[in-house]
Amino acid sequence: MKVLPSRSDAAAEFAPARKQAIAMIEIDRVSQVFRTSGRQDHLALSEISLTIADGAFVSVLGPSGCGKSTLLYIVGGFVSPTGGVARMKGKAITGPGPDRGPVFQEFALFPWKSVLGNVMYGPRQQGVKSAEAEAQSRALIEMVGLKGFEHFYPKELSGGMKQRVALARTLAYHPAVLLMDEPFGALDAHTRTRLQNDLLNIWERDRKTVLFVTHSVEEAVFLSDKVVVMTRSPGRIKQVVDIDLPRPRRRAELLLDPHYQKYVVDIERMIDDTSEDELRP
Amino acid sequence: MISGRALLSRSAPLLACLGLLGIWQVAALIINTDSFPTALEAIRAIPSILGDKESLINILASLRRMAIGFGVAVVVSIPLGLMMGRSRAVASFFNPLLMVTYPVPKAALMPIIMLWLGVGDIAKMLVIFLGVSLPVIYHSFQGAKAVEEKMLWSGAAMGLSAAQRMIRIVLPAALPEILTGCRTGLVLALITMVTSEMIARQSGAGNILFNALDMGQYDTVYAMIIIIGAMGIGLDAGFERIRGRLVKWSEPSFDIPLSFA
Repeated sequence: MKVLPSRSDAAAEFAPARKQAIAMIEIDRVSQVFRTSGRQDHLALSEISLTIADGAFVSVLGPSGCGKSTLLYIVGGFVSPTGGVARMKGKAITGPGPDRGPVFQEFALFPWKSVLGNVMYGPRQQGVKSAEAEAQSRALIEMVGLKGFEHFYPKELSGGMKQRVALARTLAYHPAVLLMDEPFGALDAHTRTRLQNDLLNIWERDRKTVLFVTHSVEEAVFLSDKVVVMTRSPGRIKQVVDIDLPRPRRRAELLLDPHYQKYVVDIERMIDDTSEDELRP
Repeated sequence: MISGRALLSRSAPLLACLGLLGIWQVAALIINTDSFPTALEAIRAIPSILGDKESLINILASLRRMAIGFGVAVVVSIPLGLMMGRSRAVASFFNPLLMVTYPVPKAALMPIIMLWLGVGDIAKMLVIFLGVSLPVIYHSFQGAKAVEEKMLWSGAAMGLSAAQRMIRIVLPAALPEILTGCRTGLVLALITMVTSEMIARQSGAGNILFNALDMGQYDTVYAMIIIIGAMGIGLDAGFERIRGRLVKWSEPSFDIPLSFA
């Protein structure tokens, strides 16, 4: 195995100015082939290479079936790529770990645990003392706007509330990278907007590295530093767009900002071209 | 103050029982034969059974065998079912085995088991064990299979090992389904308990029943049927109460009462 020059965490801490330059995640010619029941295997991802800087908010955007979620699962260590390698801080990813916290579209909360029990689960697993874990978790629950719901069970919550719990549960064990797999995809438009705003507020406070998978262009542009546009069948990176919009971002201002509008229109056009490609034999 | 409707829904199971006894009473009076005593005659025979020390020892022996057979079956079947639900290899090994044994009436195995193990407690407990195992394995299997992959991934990201995920995620997530299997298993335990005692007559509630039948004491026969039925209702109600507490988190808010719990 090739050992890369190590980038120590200490160096990152003492050189905040260089923070953006340090690669948190490196995806290196990653391919994924799925065996299907038919004769032909399905090439879901083809030689994807992407670098995500420490503290960056990167969205992966593409039509459904372009393998963008698979890419996130590979970074999470939930799925092993059939080709290439994904690295976290220079080390090859071989499985899931608490340094990468997933938030799924399906919420995937533990239904037998209360809101508090769900959020406390990670810290307790990490060996944090019960009282301390509870205090931290209560603070997180308040941060995601669910104060007063600590003892509710997931079945008693709406979709938006469940996703807030899922976010708090993941933040509770302090992952260096948040992996968000279409987290707002199952929510209605209004709830979705509110969660986007809240996520942005939370993120702008501590600037965790985020890999965010979505099929909404507006959502990707609104949240991200970088938008990765993918093509379908096989999943390839079509283009990486740097979103050069000032932060902190406010939704109302941004929607009126011609730069924002141009990003949205440009990216939409890119995706349309992608679809046209597919129509050709 | 309880509303009329609430009172009615709460007393409905009791009313149903009284209705059944009423129909029995009327039918027995019309038919009027020795082998079909009236409900009142059967009920009148209950105190003499429950007051008799030997009968009580018999019934308690039955319950003890049932408890052991049921307990061992649950302890063995839940882990097996869960492993089958999460591992294709384990499932494809055990599935054919279960499919072959499922339709075999467990009491039909009793004579063979008696040849190996005699007519004592062990043989009967083994039959009860077999009767209980299958529904518990099946429901544990279904429950484990249905556990959301993303829930396990979330656990893995928190640092739970495969064994920890099995015990701390698959087991609680599958618990409602597992307990449904256990409830079926409990009733089957009672049924196999009685049938095992019917075949290997030595002691037990079934023994009292079938001895009385041989001697033509029909009021005792029917009294025993009522007692065994009541034991079933009592066990089920007790189990439902425990189950309700354990899976409170998964129950819908409004539920049709299916038991006396």
